[in-house]
Amino acid sequence: MNLQGQREGTGLIVDDEPQIRRVVRHALEGELGRIIEAATGSEGIDLAAAEKPILMVLDLGLPDMPGIEVCREVRKWSTAAIVVLSARQSDTEKAMLLDAGADDYVTKPFSTLEFTARVRANLRRAQVARRPSEHRVAIGELVMDLAARTVRRGEQPIHLTPIEWELLRTFVTQAGRTLTHRQLFNAVWGRPFGDPQQNLRVHVANLRRKIERDPLRPEVILTEPGVGYRLEMPG
Amino acid sequence: MRNARLGRPGSWLFWAATLTLVTVALVSVRDDLDQAHVTLIYMLVVLGGSASGGRVLGLTLACACFLLIDYFLQTPYDLLSVDKPLDWLVLVAFLVTATVATQLLGRANAEAEAARRRAEEIDRLAALGAETLSAGRAEDALAAIAKVIRETTGAAECQVFVGGTAMAEGTERAGDRDEAGHDAAAAQADPAIGETVAWVAEHRRAATERLDGTPVHTSAELGASAALDAALAPARALLLPLVAHGRSVGVLRLADRGGLRLDPARRRFLDALSYYAALGIERVELAAEAEHAEALREADRLKDALLASVSHDLRTPLTTIKALAHDLAAGGDDRAAVIEEQADRLNHMVADLLDLSRLNAGGVPVHTDVNAAEDLVGAAIQQVAGALGGRELRTSLALQEPMPVGRFDFVHSLRILVNLIENALKYSPAAAPIDIWMRGEGEMIAIAVADRGGGVPPAERERIFEAFYRPAGGVSPDGARAGGAGLGLAIARRLALAQGGTLTYEDRHGGGSVFTLRLPAARLSAEEAPLAVTS
Repeated sequence: MNLQGQREGTGLIVDDEPQIRRVVRHALEGELGRIIEAATGSEGIDLAAAEKPILMVLDLGLPDMPGIEVCREVRKWSTAAIVVLSARQSDTEKAMLLDAGADDYVTKPFSTLEFTARVRANLRRAQVARRPSEHRVAIGELVMDLAARTVRRGEQPIHLTPIEWELLRTFVTQAGRTLTHRQLFNAVWGRPFGDPQQNLRVHVANLRRKIERDPLRPEVILTEPGVGYRLEMPG
Repeated sequence: MRNARLGRPGSWLFWAATLTLVTVALVSVRDDLDQAHVTLIYMLVVLGGSASGGRVLGLTLACACFLLIDYFLQTPYDLLSVDKPLDWLVLVAFLVTATVATQLLGRANAEAEAARRRAEEIDRLAALGAETLSAGRAEDALAAIAKVIRETTGAAECQVFVGGTAMAEGTERAGDRDEAGHDAAAAQADPAIGETVAWVAEHRRAATERLDGTPVHTSAELGASAALDAALAPARALLLPLVAHGRSVGVLRLADRGGLRLDPARRRFLDALSYYAALGIERVELAAEAEHAEALREADRLKDALLASVSHDLRTPLTTIKALAHDLAAGGDDRAAVIEEQADRLNHMVADLLDLSRLNAGGVPVHTDVNAAEDLVGAAIQQVAGALGGRELRTSLALQEPMPVGRFDFVHSLRILVNLIENALKYSPAAAPIDIWMRGEGEMIAIAVADRGGGVPPAERERIFEAFYRPAGGVSPDGARAGGAGLGLAIARRLALAQGGTLTYEDRHGGGSVFTLRLPAARLSAEEAPLAVTS
């Protein structure tokens, strides 16, 4: 939905199972203006190029090519939000998909409610990303000033280490999106490999201790097991 | 070459005849001949004889010529006497020259013969190399090598033993397989030979068998050595270790019941050949290994494909069922909510069965990383939040103490913890809260889930971790939801062990159960470890 509450944009469903396409189409009907379907990966790529959808729902078990290849190909020239449907529970696979350019994934069997919520979040983020970035970002009761490099809870300033600041900044600039461990490490340490990657999760835990009300029930930085983390913008 | 092919008696006769003819011809014209002409012509005969018939014939001809010249061609004729001293000189010079020339020719001939044999050996080696490389099956190549070795050494049989059994055999008479086969069978059946073979393979030393079958162990590593000469003197079999790339791969046994005859040159050659046999065995082994690995890969691929296909094919209809039921439930039909719940349950059971089969096959990859225990506990709470239904999960976080950090697989550990919390919810009264503790314990970190349920009777404390275990008297307060496949704790314990951890049960003081997951602790350097929070 755009800011005026009108449905617009095209959604593309790529799945070889007609029943799944039907379920997904049903779930998307309230969110998008037009929905098109493809049964194979190559057809999906062609439609993505021709119709320029703003959302692509991609199944991994396609008959003609691996879904990750479709994802990689489409991501080369499209800014569409790509939500992957995965039947497998392998988290390394999910991380690979996100690294290949997917925005989100939903594991089968999924509930329509959960699926719609994820799609909505991804569409909203795609819109937010097009707006110019702001200096001050409010995350619940946290206020982050990107220019002054400060974080406050109410009036109380929070002291972050440089790594924690970079982590939080990376999360905020891509709010709502699952960032893989590798993507986070690249963004914070500026290189793809190294020992500190091991301790990324410890830095996140420590950041939570500073910004979450209850670090064991985080509301801002959520864990995506085996994949990475995601910053949830309340509201 | 034509002369050389004449048999020994043949060349003697031939040269005797030639000598007679030459003498008769010369005698008829002896008055017109000069001494030099005569000696030159006889010299040609001597050289010809020695070239074709060898040194002995050459020397014999030289002596005969000496006498013939003296008798028929030097004055006084027909007498073994010489009247002029100069004639003596001619005769003696002839004899010396003929002898020396014969000797030189003999030596050159011997060298040519050696060169020919060497060329033959090289031909055989080349043939062997070609056999080794071109035979389709490695076993065929080894059999071909055994055959070439037998032909080269002239032994009656040649066997290649690998691990105590004859793997390839070259036997003398292809048409007489019965006898050869009998020999080979006898050799294999004879325990003394088996022992000798084992000794040779173990010590990497050659051995022989006397004509009566007594084994003789030697200190020789190869076929050509002084240590072997004595042992070979009267022997019916020679056993050589086959070593390829520093590894003993088998034993070569050359045998001839009538006695084995091997000259040193043959034995040197045997060393080269036996290396081929060793390489042949290695090739057989590599081929078998490759075949085995290929079969394993294929089985693995099939298993993965099957698991992936089962998991994909089962989840696709479940997705449809769940989504449609969800829509119906939104329309106000309570029965649809049951359908959705049961679809979820089915999905969990499928996942459990798949995981158990993977764990049994050792096919579950473990990705250990440095993780904070509170991240794990937080993720578990997040995951069970939907199933809490108002139940209280009590946690405590000691912010002043060092953060418990472990080196473990986050996803597997999360699975364990969620299972423990779900069990606690299932098997304890709804009013009682569930407690989760975490603490560092030196080399390990511990995360405990404690409930106020009925606990586990002492007899069943280990059985609860077995697959398909169902508690005998364990009635869950929420009977309808307790019916799992009995796999949760079995999977949980195996997952804990797979990452170097443990999962144990203890009674809780004051009633209830405590399940404790222990995982390896991670040591962070002061620089890496984030500081404790002080704000």
